Amino acid sequence: MDRLMQTFALIEISISSAIIMIWLLKTIFQINLPFAARSILLILLGNIFFWPLGFFMELPLAAYVRGVTGDLSIVSMVLLWSSLLPTDKSNPIAFKVAIGLVAIAFYPLALGFSMFDPYVWGYGSIGFLIAVLVFAVICGLANWQKGVWIIALAIVAWSFHWHESTNLWDYLLDPFLGIWAIGSSVNSFRLKVRKQVQSGYLFRAG
Amino acid sequence: MSRVIAFCFLLLAGVLGFLYLDSRPVWTPFEEAVVSVTKEEQHQVKLSSLTQPQLDWLPDTGAASVHAASLIALKDGSIRAFWFAGSREGAPDVVINSAVYDPQSAAWSAPTVVMDRIAAEKGLSRYIAKLGNPVPSRAADGRLQLFFVTVSIGGWAGSSISTISSDDEGATWSLPRRLITSPFTNLSTLVKSPAIRFVDGRLGLPAYHEWIGRFGEFLRIESDRVIDKRRMSSGRGAIQPIVFTDGTEHAIAYFRQTRGGSQIKQIPVSETRNAGQSWETTGDLQIPNPNAAIAALTLSNGTRLLVLNNLDAGRYRLVLLMFDPSSSAQANHWKIVQVLEDDEALSAEQRREFSYPFLMTSDGTDAHLVYTWDRKKIRHIHFGSAWLAQLDSQLKDQQKEGGQ
Repeated sequence: MDRLMQTFALIEISISSAIIMIWLLKTIFQINLPFAARSILLILLGNIFFWPLGFFMELPLAAYVRGVTGDLSIVSMVLLWSSLLPTDKSNPIAFKVAIGLVAIAFYPLALGFSMFDPYVWGYGSIGFLIAVLVFAVICGLANWQKGVWIIALAIVAWSFHWHESTNLWDYLLDPFLGIWAIGSSVNSFRLKVRKQVQSGYLFRAG
Repeated sequence: MSRVIAFCFLLLAGVLGFLYLDSRPVWTPFEEAVVSVTKEEQHQVKLSSLTQPQLDWLPDTGAASVHAASLIALKDGSIRAFWFAGSREGAPDVVINSAVYDPQSAAWSAPTVVMDRIAAEKGLSRYIAKLGNPVPSRAADGRLQLFFVTVSIGGWAGSSISTISSDDEGATWSLPRRLITSPFTNLSTLVKSPAIRFVDGRLGLPAYHEWIGRFGEFLRIESDRVIDKRRMSSGRGAIQPIVFTDGTEHAIAYFRQTRGGSQIKQIPVSETRNAGQSWETTGDLQIPNPNAAIAALTLSNGTRLLVLNNLDAGRYRLVLLMFDPSSSAQANHWKIVQVLEDDEALSAEQRREFSYPFLMTSDGTDAHLVYTWDRKKIRHIHFGSAWLAQLDSQLKDQQKEGGQ
């Protein structure tokens, strides 16, 4: 069972790495790949990451990636994987801002800023679980069902101990999600301000 | 409709989450250290321990650099040592070695390799660049468990803890499992000191961070998982906690100080009064510490031992200190009872490093010490029970005289 779970973890990393490679291809070469092409690329790149390639490498590429990143949170993984779907829409700015703010407050405290450690909540706090559920309900009420599904999946994965961690935080948040949320929020505000400047809104007579 | 389905799934997730939380073990008190020694064993111990401390070396592996030795008592009365060895600390060729000490013959077995980098990365399914400190422990089900440090990227700040276990006292080992202890890609948790036991059999493993912060953490371990943890200190000044339990709820942790600049170089202290659920920092123990590891042990009669470098800088002197809580109300009343190594008379270039001590007892009355000797060898010293009892008696007499 242990070996099987390690294999699943490598499959997850292989798929995530392949999707990031596809995103990089799209971004660097400014091309819009159809869903079929993305799927074929995903299978191809996913296999390259998953199987040992030999040469000077002792392990599959995915194991090197995992050595650096660890296992991604379920929220990160599902957001990343869903970006490949043709029906995927952009995620609400309020969600990104919320994740960004949580990351900004959480990581300094979890990394030893004071004796207060919010990471501990993830091991066995009913209050924390309720807070996460409330956040998911708010996502649903704001008409973003994808958020409800993602958070629910993270809680299910945690309760079944899908990854090595027993801490709920590790299923909800990781540094890459935090960086993406902060970067994406800042970019959204920048674009909004630019749009307002271009429309002359800022210079309209009061 | 899709929103209703999403909420139903969330409800299911919530129920599963609550059931999972409900199944988690509650935090329990510490196990009281009770060492039972039969009369026959006591007699044997006394006969065999009337001598001065016995010195020897852990077996030579041919490696240029050795470090971070640790010990555990085996079920047959022998002692198993672990240490890492390689071309230099942090090199990819570093392996974790082990050897068994037979108290009857006072001899070490040939060393074996318990873990190397390749075996670690294949077992953990991730790249491992180097191996570090090994710390053995005894799991609730009687298995021998070894916690060890691995690094995938960067220096020791990039460390994580992994664990293996053995059903046959260390002859063969399971595949390694990773402990997840930090939310930031699990970076920067290390282990150096022995675990303590809770009454439910689970382990409390003192660990530490060594990256942005340098602080102690108390991990609650069930088998090969971290099921809870608590911060023992904060900031950038205290790592490598060692814990003295005092009953089932109270414990004191001493740290290796890592303070910068002109800050005072003494042993930081934290205290818990609820079996490690919360810790608060207290004043320093007024013993110098040159940013070097310390070792601690409590004997079955309550006498406490420390081995450390009592210097502001350098690791060229190593001393054994003793404190008997029953005869002194002062927590800081530690006395140096033996200078184990001292190169003070040598010039700065000639002084050797005596570091990373680790203490354990085989029967509650004696003490085995291992430490790094100039990074070239690991020294092993056995302090017999009669020798320690004599020191304890002398210490009590001195304290009585001092109190009059």
